[in-house]
Amino acid sequence: MSRMGLTIRRCSATFQTRRADVPVNVRMRAAEPVAATLTKDEASDRARIDAGPEDGGWRIGAVGRWTLHAASTASDAIDHAPQPAAGTAVRLDLARLEALDTVGAYLLNRLAEQLGADGHAVAVVGLRPEHAALYDAVREAGRAPPHPIEREHHPILDMVVRTGETTVHAAREVRDLVGFLGLVTVTFVRLILRPSRLRLTSVLFHIEQTGLNALPILGLLSFLIGVVLAFQGADQLKRFGAELYVVNLLGISVLREIGILMTAIIVAGRSGSAFTAQIGTMKVNQEVDAIGTMGLDPVELLVVPRALALMITLPLLAFYADVMGLFGGAVMAYATLDITFGQFIRQLHSAVGINTVIAGLIKAPVFALVIAMVGCYEGLKVSGSAESVGTMTTKAVVEGIFLVIVIDAVFSVLFSMLGV
Amino acid sequence: MAGDPVIRVRGLVTRFGPQTVHDGLDLDVERGEVLGVVGGSGTGKSVLLKEILGLIDPAAGRIELLGHDTADLDRAERTALQARTGVLFQNGALFSSMTVAENVMLPLKEHTDLPPGLIAEVARVKIAMAGLPPDAGTKHPAQLSGGMIKRAGLARALALDPDILFLDEPTAGLDPIGAAAFDTLIQGLQRSLGLTVFMVTHDLDSLTSICDRIAVLVDRKIRVGTLAQHLADPHPWIHDYFHGPRGRAALDAKERNDARQFAKG
Repeated sequence: MSRMGLTIRRCSATFQTRRADVPVNVRMRAAEPVAATLTKDEASDRARIDAGPEDGGWRIGAVGRWTLHAASTASDAIDHAPQPAAGTAVRLDLARLEALDTVGAYLLNRLAEQLGADGHAVAVVGLRPEHAALYDAVREAGRAPPHPIEREHHPILDMVVRTGETTVHAAREVRDLVGFLGLVTVTFVRLILRPSRLRLTSVLFHIEQTGLNALPILGLLSFLIGVVLAFQGADQLKRFGAELYVVNLLGISVLREIGILMTAIIVAGRSGSAFTAQIGTMKVNQEVDAIGTMGLDPVELLVVPRALALMITLPLLAFYADVMGLFGGAVMAYATLDITFGQFIRQLHSAVGINTVIAGLIKAPVFALVIAMVGCYEGLKVSGSAESVGTMTTKAVVEGIFLVIVIDAVFSVLFSMLGV
Repeated sequence: MAGDPVIRVRGLVTRFGPQTVHDGLDLDVERGEVLGVVGGSGTGKSVLLKEILGLIDPAAGRIELLGHDTADLDRAERTALQARTGVLFQNGALFSSMTVAENVMLPLKEHTDLPPGLIAEVARVKIAMAGLPPDAGTKHPAQLSGGMIKRAGLARALALDPDILFLDEPTAGLDPIGAAAFDTLIQGLQRSLGLTVFMVTHDLDSLTSICDRIAVLVDRKIRVGTLAQHLADPHPWIHDYFHGPRGRAALDAKERNDARQFAKG
């Protein structure tokens, strides 16, 4: 009884409590007794083994309820039962079984086979008709060979193998991504030659999704970054009495790097993942296959509109982020350093030229292409299960952000070499 | 058979917005029987199944499972009751991140205190009883065919040796040979394990070959009877269902099969 209660408490399957209108104290009454009657077996008569010699042979009697809830006891009973002398014939008497389920039948069957393997002649007797079918079914099923055991693992060797596999996999991924970029480029060119095939509605839809809908979060984050930069910069520059140069700091860092980088990272997290999830779900539903069978091109239909939309919106978003970042900085500069907006604008004008703005924004279409490529590519790589949509979405975001930062570094090196 | 219903539904009312799906539905499922539930699309077969399982709340009515009103149970009692029912969902609903063996072992790990070795062995037996090859246990659901997923789902549903087995369209999406084999499997397991089976199905062959009684959802209520009783029912939908071309074909097949059985034995 107490053990049953324990079993029930251990069970932690989730479910909704129904009928929330029933008062809690009413529902909670008398939990234990009802719960005990709900479990299949009362623990009153547990499984046990009765074994001993009988005229010339050995008798093993299984008594009680041989079911799932008594399986541990039953297993112990088998282990601790006295063993027959070598070579004696054994009679496995199942007449006093009160209940039998698959687990009980399995244990008894295993006992019989064990004894048989030890060289005893085993006879199963007294099986009740209502238990016979189950016992036979389990015996049949038990004949199936056990799961093949995988080969022994060597930890160091395995690590080397895994490293090699990952390297090859990463190289293949890069190659495939470049291949995909080529495929999309070819499709792009084809669409430029026949612009009527471009899905304008789809492009506009994705511009709204990736651009317009991103404005609130991007604006707020850029504003806050501007505030933080201005505050940190002011703190340092104040020591030199060069407070006004906080505007230069803000102008250069926001316009050249922070604005576009923040935008690209947010868009990779927001839209790159969305692309993967959308296309991946279509892949799971076989919609992508359907597109193929109808003589349509999945790249033309799904990838190009998204890539094009992102290449249009990302520069615009980056510009918006620049403005919001500078605005945040201006607000902070006014609040802590008493630099008026007029002063801020004048100083900004002298600090940065149009080149600085362009050096930031020129990266935007490239980032957009990378984010869209990775997002769509991982989406098309989704296979079969819903689980793989999740895996690929995570992968798209990580790869997207990674590539954005790598390419940003490449741009920095390039710009410094060109002296921009 | 009579007098000991394992599922008793009284005055069940289900509404989705303005639409009434069930209106005062009564149903008794007796211990040890195979009940087939049929009905046109949108008559609430799957909804009824979910209500009995406690996944959806009905608007009104009482549902008793194994003699306990499902609305009065607290958490521990419900969990104990859930351990006595097994469900095979339409698409298997196997956990895709786990292997088949792990899927079958999960309820055993959660609801029993068996040693891990024994759990693995029991899972192996269940997988074999569901008619899967031994190497299926180490595979993930994505690596299995539709028929094997159903069998794996059945193995998981049977993991705890439930009293009642709920099947939602078990043969949907299987080829006729696979469907017939699955019917035979369910019938064999039902007999050897003494299960009560509640089966929502569209498959007329399943109905005629393995169901003891058939419950037809018509006019927001349910009509339960044997195949012979339904064949004589003048209700237009029931008549069309059993006397349509597919119904006739299934009945002819059953007659031929019965005649062959008779000739054999």
